[in-house]
Amino acid sequence: MLGIVRTRLLQLIVVLWVLSIVTFSLMKLAPGDPVLTLLRADEMSVTQADEAALREELGFNRPVHVQYLEWLGRVLRLDFGESLIKGKPVLSELLERLPATIELTLGGLAVMLIIAFPLGLLAARYPGRLPDHLGRMFALIGASVPVFWIGLLLIYAFAFKLQWFPTMGRGGLRELILPSVTLGSGLAAVHARLLRSGLLDSLSQEYIRAARARGLSEWRVFFRHALRAALIPALTMFGMTLGSLLAGSVVVETLFSWPGLGSMAVDAIFQRDYPLIQGYLLMTGAFVTAVNLAVDLAYGMLDPRIRLGKGGSG
Amino acid sequence: MRTLTLIRKRTLAIFIVFFMLALALAGCRQGGPHAEGSSATASEEEQGGNNAGGTRKLTLIYHFKSGSLDPANDFVALKAGITETLVRLDENLEVHPWLATQWEHRNPLTWVFTIRDGVTFQDGTKLDAAAVKASLERAIAVNKSLGNSLKIVSMEANGQQLTVITKEPNPTLVSEFVNPYTSVVSVAAEKKMGSQAFNRAPVGTGPFQVKKFTPNVEILLERYDGYWDGAAQLDEVVFRFNEDGNVRALALQAKEADIATQIPAETVATVQKDDRLRVESVAGLRVHFLLFNPNREAMKDVKVRQAFDLLMDRESIADDVMLGHATPANGPFNTRLPFASREPVQMQNVEEAKKLLEEAGYTYGPDGRATKDGQPLTLELVTYKARPELPLIAQLLQSDAAKAGIGIRIQMVENIDTFLRENDNWDIATYSNLSAPRGDGGYFLNSALMPGGSLNAANIRSERLSEIISRLNATSDMNKRNEITQEAVAAIREEVSHVYLVYPNVIVGMNKRVTGWKPGAEEYYLVNNRMDVK
Repeated sequence: MLGIVRTRLLQLIVVLWVLSIVTFSLMKLAPGDPVLTLLRADEMSVTQADEAALREELGFNRPVHVQYLEWLGRVLRLDFGESLIKGKPVLSELLERLPATIELTLGGLAVMLIIAFPLGLLAARYPGRLPDHLGRMFALIGASVPVFWIGLLLIYAFAFKLQWFPTMGRGGLRELILPSVTLGSGLAAVHARLLRSGLLDSLSQEYIRAARARGLSEWRVFFRHALRAALIPALTMFGMTLGSLLAGSVVVETLFSWPGLGSMAVDAIFQRDYPLIQGYLLMTGAFVTAVNLAVDLAYGMLDPRIRLGKGGSG
Repeated sequence: MRTLTLIRKRTLAIFIVFFMLALALAGCRQGGPHAEGSSATASEEEQGGNNAGGTRKLTLIYHFKSGSLDPANDFVALKAGITETLVRLDENLEVHPWLATQWEHRNPLTWVFTIRDGVTFQDGTKLDAAAVKASLERAIAVNKSLGNSLKIVSMEANGQQLTVITKEPNPTLVSEFVNPYTSVVSVAAEKKMGSQAFNRAPVGTGPFQVKKFTPNVEILLERYDGYWDGAAQLDEVVFRFNEDGNVRALALQAKEADIATQIPAETVATVQKDDRLRVESVAGLRVHFLLFNPNREAMKDVKVRQAFDLLMDRESIADDVMLGHATPANGPFNTRLPFASREPVQMQNVEEAKKLLEEAGYTYGPDGRATKDGQPLTLELVTYKARPELPLIAQLLQSDAAKAGIGIRIQMVENIDTFLRENDNWDIATYSNLSAPRGDGGYFLNSALMPGGSLNAANIRSERLSEIISRLNATSDMNKRNEITQEAVAAIREEVSHVYLVYPNVIVGMNKRVTGWKPGAEEYYLVNNRMDVK
């Protein structure tokens, strides 16, 4: 187990290094830079000479590899630099936004689990019957309706008409519910279907028949044996979802004035705030890799064959 | 084996418990301290009515978010009534005394401002010329562009008198002090608090001070009782940020907000149906226009540019594209400004446009296409999505230009400024700029029409215009400046350097219980001491 963790941590470093090279190059290849935003050209009288001077001062005219190596050198000393637009240390900007993102991630995941788990289980337990039809309908709606539309409908119903929750802001549980439901309901659709198909697949396996033949109760067969195998594909998807949620959710953050990482990243990209984009990508890259590692370890818990390197059924 | 299963079960159980605990912690934080200032209290109070517990409170939702209140880097401190500037724009968009009561232009490089007596910062300290000097020095140090536009080399403070020396004649210095970046703050307070804390709760001279700031979410403001122009009527103002127009409109309808800035035009009818709400729509200081690429053969001909001026259906843009929330433009500057053009708005005239194209050497064949030297006139038009109405205007132009036999290919780009600078394969662009953000035309003329100006992406060069603008830059008398600006506008009209389309309106939804407040075209002064709720 420790060996796997060590190898994966080494992989993490390589992944982050490659990621930083790719994103740095892409950023520099994309047209535009933050000079006009920095000079506030839409508000203040500046000349193209001012722009050129600032570009020179910020070192944007130097070769890309020189800029990259300088940035890498600082990052190795754990200095992520300052946001060009905000003038704040990148690390403090990211850490300031992280709690809100984690809060929304947990809220979204909780809603997702609350909906997806029972829906997936019931649909698989009663295939072709009412719970399955309901689950299919929910999945169809959840997967095809855009998140912003779900958000607006929820605000309309629960904040405007019923006035149960505030339309926006971050504070306590009341503020968290609508954004979490918006985020979680869309995700639940996919997870419920995945769980259902995984369960149906494992219910048709030989060992299930054997378990039934041993006289085990149907519920015991279902939860102890079938569900365990069905969780592996669902867990893969869960890991990917968790990674993307930790990177922030732009639409939900914008709708609900949620001060998370997603809207910050989009702003940074539009403003070409290079140090902030790089810092953000490193952090989310680390999250995604860490989550993948956790998911891999969890596979081993669910299926001993994977842990023992004998190949699994999932 | 059994032990192993037990261990696995335990790990799973620990994982589940940890997850639930984290969720509970995240959700139930109302009672505990909030890392970045909670908005829960504000929202909860509002649900029970804004005047609960005798507190007169108003909630305003603003359409951009802010992560910092540093007045030298962000306009929100001024907009939220925390800070003030030396001068301000009045209802007629003219420069008006504010923290400075009067000023004198002693010689081309020297200005003397008299700072208002009896003003105190929100920490109780007195405002004098030395405090203004320190504040301006701070702003210039923090914001380099500001230094470029103020051109100050030195300042001298003597009691309430501030002498400002500029490195070159700067006739627009007074109107430059309208700029919210020049907000006067207490530098002494910043030293005491530290920059980081200060940028979250700057100490200014405005009617409201920061009680709690949650970056990108809201500012909770409380009345400053020592305000020089009479303490505010309201006890508190919640200044919220939300960048989604539909949500702002819904919050207004839910009575969660009293004022919502820039609600989408399509929500206006629904908002107006509620008898407790109303909508104010005033022409703003921005102008949407067409930009021509002077390096392209077809666009070099002034007659072709004039034809485009005649092809534009400004009424349709204002009424159909912008649903009545825009005013047809007759020049770069909002008609309410003293230096705006007094000429009538150009009406659409396709036949006249065709005649001009014929004069420019184009002929019309049986297919109705305008051709020259056997080549049909087909132009590349660039537009961008950041202002959603611009692509629609581009489509309208495409359809109207077809009536005059001109083919238009529309290209959508992400960043228009970068595209225009780095490419030359375009003929026309839809563009939008604030043309008089500080009540003076000099900024736009210099930036958008002088060679080397930052908004002159097309690199327009006109000797006549450059001469007029240089004359404007050397004139400090306001009336003369207005005359010269009008002269420049007339020259733009003749040379058709740009084709101005509409001035988009500032659309604000508000609850009828709000009194003593109406939106201004400048969108600067959103919170004041006179606003109240019934």
